[in-house]
Amino acid sequence: MVNVERKGDGCAVRIEGEMTIYTAADLKPALLAPLADCRELELDLAQVAEIDTAGLQLLALAKLEAARAGGDLRLINHSDAVRDVLDLCGMVGFFGDPVVIPS
Amino acid sequence: MNLDQALKTYIEESRELLQEIEDGLLRVEQEADTADTVNAIFRAAHTIKGSAGLFGLDYLVAFTHGVESVLDRVRDGSLGIDAELVALMLECRDHISALVEHAAEGAMTATPELDAGGQTLTTRLNVYLGKQPPATTPAAPEAVEARVEASGGGRVGCDCWHISLRFGRESLRNGMDPLSFLRYLATLGDIVSIETLTDALPAAADMDPEQCYLGYEIKFRSDADKATIEGVFEFALEDSQIHILPPRGRVADYLDMIKALPEDDLRLGEILCRVGSLTEHELQEALGAQAAGAQAEQGEATEPAPIGDILVGAGMVQPELVDAALDKQKQTREHRAQESRVVRVDADKLDRLINLVGELVIAGASTNLIAQRAGMADLLEATSTLSRLVEEVRDSALTLRMVQIGATFSRFQRVVRDVSRELGKEIQLVITGAETELDKTVVEKIGDPLMHLVRNSMDHGIEAPDARVARGKPAQGTLRLNAYHDSGSIVIEVGDDGGGLNRQRILDKAIERGIVQAGQNLSDQEICQLIFEPGFSTAAAVTNLSGRGVGMDVVRKNIEALRGTIEIDSVEGQGTTIRIRLPLTLAIIDGFLVGIGGSSFVIPLEAVAECVELSEADRAASRDRHYLNLRGEVLPFLRLREVFDVDGLPPRRENVVVVQYGKQRAGLVVDELMGEFQTVIKPLGRLFGHIRGIGGSTILGSGEVALILDVPSLVQRTSEREGRALAPPHALSVQ
Amino acid sequence: MAKTILIVDDSASLRQVVSIALKGAGYDVIEGCDGKDALAKLNGQKVHLIISDVNMPNMDGITFVKEVKQLPAYKFTPIIMLTTESQEAKKAEGQAAGAKAWVVKPFQPQQMLTAVSKLILP
Repeated sequence: MVNVERKGDGCAVRIEGEMTIYTAADLKPALLAPLADCRELELDLAQVAEIDTAGLQLLALAKLEAARAGGDLRLINHSDAVRDVLDLCGMVGFFGDPVVIPS
Repeated sequence: MNLDQALKTYIEESRELLQEIEDGLLRVEQEADTADTVNAIFRAAHTIKGSAGLFGLDYLVAFTHGVESVLDRVRDGSLGIDAELVALMLECRDHISALVEHAAEGAMTATPELDAGGQTLTTRLNVYLGKQPPATTPAAPEAVEARVEASGGGRVGCDCWHISLRFGRESLRNGMDPLSFLRYLATLGDIVSIETLTDALPAAADMDPEQCYLGYEIKFRSDADKATIEGVFEFALEDSQIHILPPRGRVADYLDMIKALPEDDLRLGEILCRVGSLTEHELQEALGAQAAGAQAEQGEATEPAPIGDILVGAGMVQPELVDAALDKQKQTREHRAQESRVVRVDADKLDRLINLVGELVIAGASTNLIAQRAGMADLLEATSTLSRLVEEVRDSALTLRMVQIGATFSRFQRVVRDVSRELGKEIQLVITGAETELDKTVVEKIGDPLMHLVRNSMDHGIEAPDARVARGKPAQGTLRLNAYHDSGSIVIEVGDDGGGLNRQRILDKAIERGIVQAGQNLSDQEICQLIFEPGFSTAAAVTNLSGRGVGMDVVRKNIEALRGTIEIDSVEGQGTTIRIRLPLTLAIIDGFLVGIGGSSFVIPLEAVAECVELSEADRAASRDRHYLNLRGEVLPFLRLREVFDVDGLPPRRENVVVVQYGKQRAGLVVDELMGEFQTVIKPLGRLFGHIRGIGGSTILGSGEVALILDVPSLVQRTSEREGRALAPPHALSVQ
Repeated sequence: MAKTILIVDDSASLRQVVSIALKGAGYDVIEGCDGKDALAKLNGQKVHLIISDVNMPNMDGITFVKEVKQLPAYKFTPIIMLTTESQEAKKAEGQAAGAKAWVVKPFQPQQMLTAVSKLILP
């Protein structure tokens, strides 16, 4: 499930549930829609309970699309599941967001 | 990992499958269309083998493999099944059975005898497979690692593996998530560094979110060997491009890989440097070599082609294509054997359920009592509905223990086939009523007596072919096994169309053996029953099967132990039918309820011969002696009040229940006769298990517990005492 | 939360051993004795991996894989097929139906664990 909230020039997008092959088809349009009129996109991943390659590559796609449109996409509040996957794939640098590692 | 319980399941399962194999083999010769049966036999052998592997029972796997291979050829039609092959398969089945029983004892290796037996059979199986006995061992595959280092090109300095992954587009849809492989890879070593390539991601509009676009370059430190690392990606091979370069791999191999990958060479080189698998210098060298190679193609081409251990991807798909072609050939009818859907439940669990239902009956009865006392009509109505339902639950719980007798019957196909050959007789077995159900405990115990009766019929009943023809009968004899339900009992018949019982010979023999007196007047049925007397045998020729004069009496004992009876129908010259009548279940008993003081006892109804009132004279006399006069017969008796130490004085009128076990009779003195009823037997707890004279307990409608008397032990008790009492000479003066 | 695996095979002992091995490794296990039974057992609940035999009564493995791939909840679930060296053709058939992983019978429990770990870790 994707919640979009306008914040001035940007958008705050919150993703809840799983970002997997089972949800990818629905997530793709939901995730890309805010990019059409938001330059600054903040993606809150706190509620992402599960993520697989399909979910990961959607995040990558959104990041690339935002850059292509001259905007920016930031990932915040990475859930454990997201952090694990970004670590495993060495993708932290690709997204370039500060990842909070719980002590 | 403790597999003991699973091994038990395996042994039991294998026994069933072996039975299926046997049934199938015996059936297959008579069938026009053998496909179903052959398939069922194949599947059974296959399952035995497959599960044996799980337990590391390699000897079972090895032998069964040969059997399975032959069956597979029968299945695909390249081998016909004839009597000879069936015979061999039956032998193999027996050998597998021996191996399974061997495994049941926990053996992980076969004995030399079993091995030798298996070897002989395997040699015979190999004839069908067109195999020669193994004369030479196949040459070991050439050691790939031993190849001479290819000329040209140095080695990289990195002491890590380099793994390059480009997964097939459909990987995700197939459930093969690259992340899973990476996670597993991480368990084999250390992912030193990793780069995820998003180059293949198309523009948003063209991107299919269910396809896989990501690629990975990985520097991996591990002691695992190449095969293990390749194995990680075993399931991803299809459509994927996977390169695995060993530590200190050749620069040339890196170059080959870079060329094979879809990304731009320079960008890839950069990534490899970033990952740390190549140094800047090595990259320069590689790309330099490439440039040189481009100028002199020939020089490059003469270099020996990299052996398959470098390029894992595309080449591997080939075998599957071959398979697809083979598949068409092999697409023979894949019929599934109709195997009834069965849930395997521990018998103890069923017993526990039945016990609980018993408790439920008590609880229900007491509720009912309270309702009656309270006089609440609606509550009474509710409890009566409840008790009806509880009774239904009890009945269906009991039916859970019921199994069809067919499996027991069909076991005799093999016996009849083998024994008739041995005897030189032609005998066919006709089975009817195979679907008749009876209690599992009864089924387990009926096998031996039935075996005896069947063998006896074949041995003594059915005549040799020439004798049959002389009597105007078909040369082939018929043995019938039949089962049906009859008023709360199950009847099992063993019938033959043989010579029938010769009454005169039986009588002569019985007189000769002192079993009956010469002048005794016996009915037909009584004469027939004599064959069940200990030490009785009329067979002219003693064979190794039966006729040793032991057995038939044991049969009767076994049947009686199951609370059953046995009767004989025999027409001389036409055949004999032995009819066994058994209670449907051992858990329910027809009882005769008696009262002593405030307690109730149940006497199994089939043990009750008659009831009489204890006459005043006997009563008076019984204070000194322990027998009474029943119409001129000396009847030893027991006062149950004394046996069970029941408090209180006996009433003015007492009754005697005359019980019978075998040929012995005894009287049981009780206060009150309360009539017949059917009841569920509850076993006694361990605490009471040793008490003589009591066989179980049951619950009465009132919720009271009644003990079920163990008639055989009570009868025995009277005869023991009688023996002692009769010892002094004066006791003999009794009528 | 433990990952759930469905094992479908008509051999009770095989299911039992595989189940012991998987549970020991930290997975939850559901068992089905044939394709039909397995479909009934699935009944919409989340399953991370399916292991299925090919040759089974009532509904064979190939049909089962085809059916399960039709169900939205399982269309992307990884499936391991239990094949035999004598059934290479069946393996291809299973792969075409959507079972891309396989373990060759007879196998040792550890081999099954290895195959499973490649697809999902507990």
